[in-house]
Amino acid sequence: MELITGILTTAVLAGGVLALAALGEVLAERVGVFNLGVEGLMALGGVTGIIAVTLYPNPFFGFAMALLVGLGFGALFALATVVFRANQVLCGLALTMLGSGLAVTIGKGYSGMPAKATFEKIIIPYLSDLPILGRAFFSQNILVYLIYLIIPAVISFMLFRTRHGMNVRAVGENPAAADSAGIPVTLIRFCYVTIGAALGAGAGAYLTLAFVPSWSDGVVAGRGWIAVALVIFAGYRPFGAVFGALLFGVITAIGYVGQARNWPISPTFLSMLPYLGTMLAMILPVFLWRRLRLGFTAPAGLGVPFFRDER
Amino acid sequence: MSGLQSLRLVRVSAVSGRRILAARVISFIAALAVGAVVLAACGFDPLHLGTQILKKSLGSRFGLEDLGLLLTPLILTGLAVTVMMKIGLWNIGADGQFYIGAFAATAIGLFVKGPEPAMLVLCFIAGAAGGALWILVPTLARAYGKVDEIITTLLLNFVALLLVYYVATGPWRDRTTGTVASTGRVPYEMPDFFGSLHWGFVIALIAPVLFGLLLRYTKWGYEIRLTGANPEAAHYAGIPVRRRMIAIMLLSGAIAGLAGMLEVTGTVHRLQGGISNNYGYLGVMVAVLARGSPVGVIAGAALMAIILNAGIILQTQGLTTAAVLALTGLIMMFTAVADQFAHYRLVRALPQAAAATATG
Repeated sequence: MELITGILTTAVLAGGVLALAALGEVLAERVGVFNLGVEGLMALGGVTGIIAVTLYPNPFFGFAMALLVGLGFGALFALATVVFRANQVLCGLALTMLGSGLAVTIGKGYSGMPAKATFEKIIIPYLSDLPILGRAFFSQNILVYLIYLIIPAVISFMLFRTRHGMNVRAVGENPAAADSAGIPVTLIRFCYVTIGAALGAGAGAYLTLAFVPSWSDGVVAGRGWIAVALVIFAGYRPFGAVFGALLFGVITAIGYVGQARNWPISPTFLSMLPYLGTMLAMILPVFLWRRLRLGFTAPAGLGVPFFRDER
Repeated sequence: MSGLQSLRLVRVSAVSGRRILAARVISFIAALAVGAVVLAACGFDPLHLGTQILKKSLGSRFGLEDLGLLLTPLILTGLAVTVMMKIGLWNIGADGQFYIGAFAATAIGLFVKGPEPAMLVLCFIAGAAGGALWILVPTLARAYGKVDEIITTLLLNFVALLLVYYVATGPWRDRTTGTVASTGRVPYEMPDFFGSLHWGFVIALIAPVLFGLLLRYTKWGYEIRLTGANPEAAHYAGIPVRRRMIAIMLLSGAIAGLAGMLEVTGTVHRLQGGISNNYGYLGVMVAVLARGSPVGVIAGAALMAIILNAGIILQTQGLTTAAVLALTGLIMMFTAVADQFAHYRLVRALPQAAAATATG
């Protein structure tokens, strides 16, 4: 019992990183832009969060600064891919290199130092006393509630229940048709790619201010890429992304528990679990979703730059 | 309508290579300028650093040898990515295939005894097979389930890195010299022909030419080009698209694995955690610079090698590898944008023509 609670508690905490980044990527991919720069954005957000709380020890300040930096670099990425319509795969890889390199360079003096301020646990009365699930789900920091409930609910409502959301999805499915219907394709793409990037950077700050909580080179460790893969697994749905992230949290947590309890497997192999799990999660849905006849397909306009003059 | 108003930007879908080259030179200079401004802001002297780089990398024999040693893996990983681009796919996992190629070659080198030439051939085969094996699952997933190859190939990089790190610090650790981070010395070495430059460099120069010839002059190559240009048309023309895709992906993995094998037997002589030196990711950059031309890969790799070599020199001046990585990313993004800009032309349209395009 205690083992399960322990795994779940760590899983929820670890999954939050992936969930927030994946939610950002859902936004970008829903408007048709493939952002492979999440890894770099997370690194930038992580280091920004740490530096910000060193200057002014308040976790919310650190998180907000990370969001701002994410907006900035997201705007840069959107400028290249949406306005200039450059190749999205390339620009994404470039953003990953730029972000990771820059983060390590500016974070040199902060490496290994514990965060000066972290997000504290908020214990929800009564619910947190539930057996097994109580401690895992209702005794976490405030970002966990935001990431698992409020942000996906807002995105979900916006995308599927509002007129604006219909326009947003149209931009991702068929930009040419959306354009002829008078929807500002470039503007919508630019805005949501930028907001998505901000969430990616926010995920980095969550990593360094709530999960680890400190900065070191390579602390992101491929989580950005896992988040990108999760979006496909989630069928481009916000709550799907959250659920998938939790699943990955469990895989990560099993690895941690294994290390802590000295299971007779080398920790190296336990560290491989999230990546191998992601591989499986990429391959399974193709056969599973098809079998279940769920319409979890990618937006039709994903990855294709929109040229009005070549309509 | 008067002067300024009748100037329009027009997008041209097909542009000449020369135009793209010009756009790239401008973008490269622009990226360097941005880098220089940032460096200057951090208290470095960009001009001094620039002259140091030119003097130490191109102005001395040692510099040229180093350049050749960097070129070898860069040409091969660049070729690996280019090979897959030919069929419209991305191999972001060249880093992992490089690791497994190096891993397989080291395994043969450490645990099989035999005459050197035969063992080198065996290492060669093992390296290529290792790389091909590492891309097998993404290949089958892509061919039979249309699973996005970008992410599956990439995820395996982390697994390969962990595996190599594990054997280099664990079971295969060098017990004679007591280093903790690498395996023992692999006894079989690629012979050198120019200072420390080994014959792997020549293999790396031949490989792109060979692939280019295959692509241009054989039926197989024609089918690959057709499949890359339009898979549906290729399918209706009776080309076994799936089989060609599988062959190309495995070939791509094998080339990247070969790069890893040459790095072990020719340059580093041991297996260690950071042996790939990001060559797999830089290969993507090389392939992009080459714009899908196999022989162009050599030119792209040369530019990348100069940048990397510059990075090594900059490290002696107090700059980190991370900063060099950031600069590389910046150059890559500028290049991607420049390739788009090359498609635009400023046209002075006649009033009637401008009106006609506006309404039509």
